[in-house]
Amino acid sequence: MSELSSNQQSQVELQFRIRRKRWLNVGAVYLILILISFLFMGPFLFGAISSLKDNPTEWPPTIQTAQLSPRNWLGAFNLARQAGSGGLFGQFKAGKMVQLKVTYRFPAGHEVVLPEVSIPVRVAGSGQAALDLTQKYAADYLEVSAVEEIKRWTEGGAIYAEYQIMISNPSHFNFDIVPLNLKVPYQVEFVQGTLTPNNIERLGMVQSWKNISSGLIPYIFHNYDRVFNENYSRSTGRSLFLSWVLNSFFISIMRVITTLILAAMAGYVLARLKFVGQKLFFVLILFSMMIPAQVTFISNYLVLRDGVFGLSKMFGVNSLLNTFSGLIIQGMVSGSAVFIMKQFFAGLPRSLEESACIDGASTYQTFFKIMLPLAKPALGALTILTFQGTWNDFFMPLVIITSPMDKFPLTVGLLSFRIMYGAAGMAWGPILAGAIISALPIIILFVVFQKYFVEGISFTGLKG
Amino acid sequence: MKTRLLWGIMFLVLIISSVSQAATEIRIAGFGGNDQNIVEELIARFVETELAAQGVKIIYEPIADDYPRYILNALSAGTAADLFYMDIFWAKNVIKTGAVEPLDSYLQDSAVLSKDDIVTSLLEGFTVDGSLYGIPKDFNSLALFYNKDLFDIAGVEYPNSEDTWESLEQKLEKVVAIDQNFIGMALQPDFARMGALAYANGWEPFVGNETNLLAPEFKEAFAVYTDLKAKGLGLMPADIGQGWGGGAFATGNTATCLEGAWIIGFLRDQAPNLNYDATLLPKSTATGERGNFIFTVAWGINADSQNKELTFKVLEALTSPAAQQWVLERGLAIPSRKSLVDNPYFENETKEAQANKIVFIGAATGQVKPFSFKEYGGKWIDPINAALAEVMSGQSTVEQALATAQKRLDEDVMK
Repeated sequence: MSELSSNQQSQVELQFRIRRKRWLNVGAVYLILILISFLFMGPFLFGAISSLKDNPTEWPPTIQTAQLSPRNWLGAFNLARQAGSGGLFGQFKAGKMVQLKVTYRFPAGHEVVLPEVSIPVRVAGSGQAALDLTQKYAADYLEVSAVEEIKRWTEGGAIYAEYQIMISNPSHFNFDIVPLNLKVPYQVEFVQGTLTPNNIERLGMVQSWKNISSGLIPYIFHNYDRVFNENYSRSTGRSLFLSWVLNSFFISIMRVITTLILAAMAGYVLARLKFVGQKLFFVLILFSMMIPAQVTFISNYLVLRDGVFGLSKMFGVNSLLNTFSGLIIQGMVSGSAVFIMKQFFAGLPRSLEESACIDGASTYQTFFKIMLPLAKPALGALTILTFQGTWNDFFMPLVIITSPMDKFPLTVGLLSFRIMYGAAGMAWGPILAGAIISALPIIILFVVFQKYFVEGISFTGLKG
Repeated sequence: MKTRLLWGIMFLVLIISSVSQAATEIRIAGFGGNDQNIVEELIARFVETELAAQGVKIIYEPIADDYPRYILNALSAGTAADLFYMDIFWAKNVIKTGAVEPLDSYLQDSAVLSKDDIVTSLLEGFTVDGSLYGIPKDFNSLALFYNKDLFDIAGVEYPNSEDTWESLEQKLEKVVAIDQNFIGMALQPDFARMGALAYANGWEPFVGNETNLLAPEFKEAFAVYTDLKAKGLGLMPADIGQGWGGGAFATGNTATCLEGAWIIGFLRDQAPNLNYDATLLPKSTATGERGNFIFTVAWGINADSQNKELTFKVLEALTSPAAQQWVLERGLAIPSRKSLVDNPYFENETKEAQANKIVFIGAATGQVKPFSFKEYGGKWIDPINAALAEVMSGQSTVEQALATAQKRLDEDVMK
């Protein structure tokens, strides 16, 4: 009896040990995965949170930003509703009035006075907006209709007072931007308000809001709003940032198309067809992968400058510099793409083609009808790698596309942000917002197509 | 075979879709960012209307990064724009390569632009062997920007044009005594700020071909500047996590900083309510004189340009009184034409207009020198900046730091 139980006990113990080991293993794997994902996603998430802040470089950094507080969301939503618009997106409509509450702390012995309320004129210091002097300012039309004290209490010797501020728009115009300033005497402290001020300036004496009726979305994503709305093209009037995003998509998609077509055809030819110099071609293609892009960049540039040995003159174009065509042509297909496709086709069984041949298919038919559909996984991987590579490409677009700004792809556009928002000191908010937007498509692409990503890497054992 | 060729050609047609234009092109190269916005607007408003009849197409090419390297490379490779920016800091290096067209003969024939129209002190930096190579588009100089609130709270008189460094120090002492968070002055460890003090003392950066950092005039200015930190009257912007004096000033705790008009646009965005004003730089306590730098960028014409006459016409339009007035009204740059001194803009009571006016006046009072250092450029400044940073961060004394800087200048830079 006792023998059996000890046997059972050891059995249970063994099982327990096995289970414990298994759980430990699982735990370790998850821990490592969490650490790695934090390592990779951490900076992105940190950047994403910082891009929402009024002061992205605040030190020490916190995640409790005003833009992430539900209290402020409610405030921004309600203010925009009162101003006569939907709440998510706001505008101060004609004839409307909004009500704002703020609380101040007056230190003991300090006289309690009403805050001075004003709607200032704010002119942008940089960007296209700085050049436009003809815009209508809310300051010239809106009125502060009432500033009243509604509550007062004492706490710890200090007097707290809550005020209600009414701002009305008696004009016939709607205003997109309504900034607000409140001024109190020195040492009076701002406690809270319907909406947390964007800036507390002048040693705490001035609380300023960039736009009280912006609505919820522009309130949270104010830097994104700036990125899209502050920079517009002088020639077309369209948002520059939007153009850059579209350009990047256009160039990436065009390059994906050219790469898929050319790499698939070249890969098939090198893998299957027999012709004189086949080996030589393959070696040349491999060779092209071994030369760093920096080495060929000047000759590539000159070739584009002369319109690919004057060929482009047939189409009435003297030089391919500063054209999308030039940018697409110089990266039409890469050696590594051909290599991926060649390796994939070489791995497919020959019997498929032989049976197609017996059924009377020509080389083209075999390629387009039989082989290409089979190559979907490789094409998928190639699509992602090419798209990612082109989307993130910075150097060649910087050299080839020079003007106007409408033509920039996103990467080059972001560089001009650095100068635009960093002319004298940096405004990191819009720069971060732009960077986050530029990273998003790749992240989405990765999440959706991660299966192909892994396959693509396993095909080649190379980077993208 | 034929189908393949056909496919190929169709593909090329698909790819190459842009259409060429027969008009003459004038290419302009300059900085990116704000400059691009301004110049493109100027081109549309003032140049294209002027040159519409000739069928000229004007293209602005913004150079996003490292402009001086770009322009030197492009000029030697023959791909440079017809008209381009030349910063006074390195303009003479470019001019001496012979790649910039002298403008004297054009100016003689011009009805709308002459040397006499431009603020005289700006031209020196672009004159080599008596010939003028660039027309300044705008300029900047240093001014003392001060935060009125801090002086009000401390009950101290604002800094004014009568102040010497000594009397300013006394005022700052009273300001920082009020609150330990108050900073008297943002002290960038940079010759581009401290140099103004040395010039005020009567120091010459080059005597013959020598630079003497150990001269008493320089040493005294260096000591005044670095002592502000030692006396607790100032901090380096980096000490409070800021990249430059303007950043420190925008926090609202800094009473004064030495900056140019470039700070104005920055403050509009970063600290729209900052209650500031500007005055001329303080006078040297010893000489009673003021010193200052001229920072300016000029338009230069490519000597290899195919259309020099037309390019000069473009230059004329870009620097016309109307164009400069347009830029001035936006408060973004200070025009280089003398006639705009009396512009009504400067009479505006706004803090921005007043600051611009002070910068305008600052460029013509006292010992004003262009911000350029022969062919040495940044290399000449580096040892001095390093010395400033060393002394202000307490790693070295004034004597040691200056001796090291002098040695570096003699042995590495000006050998």
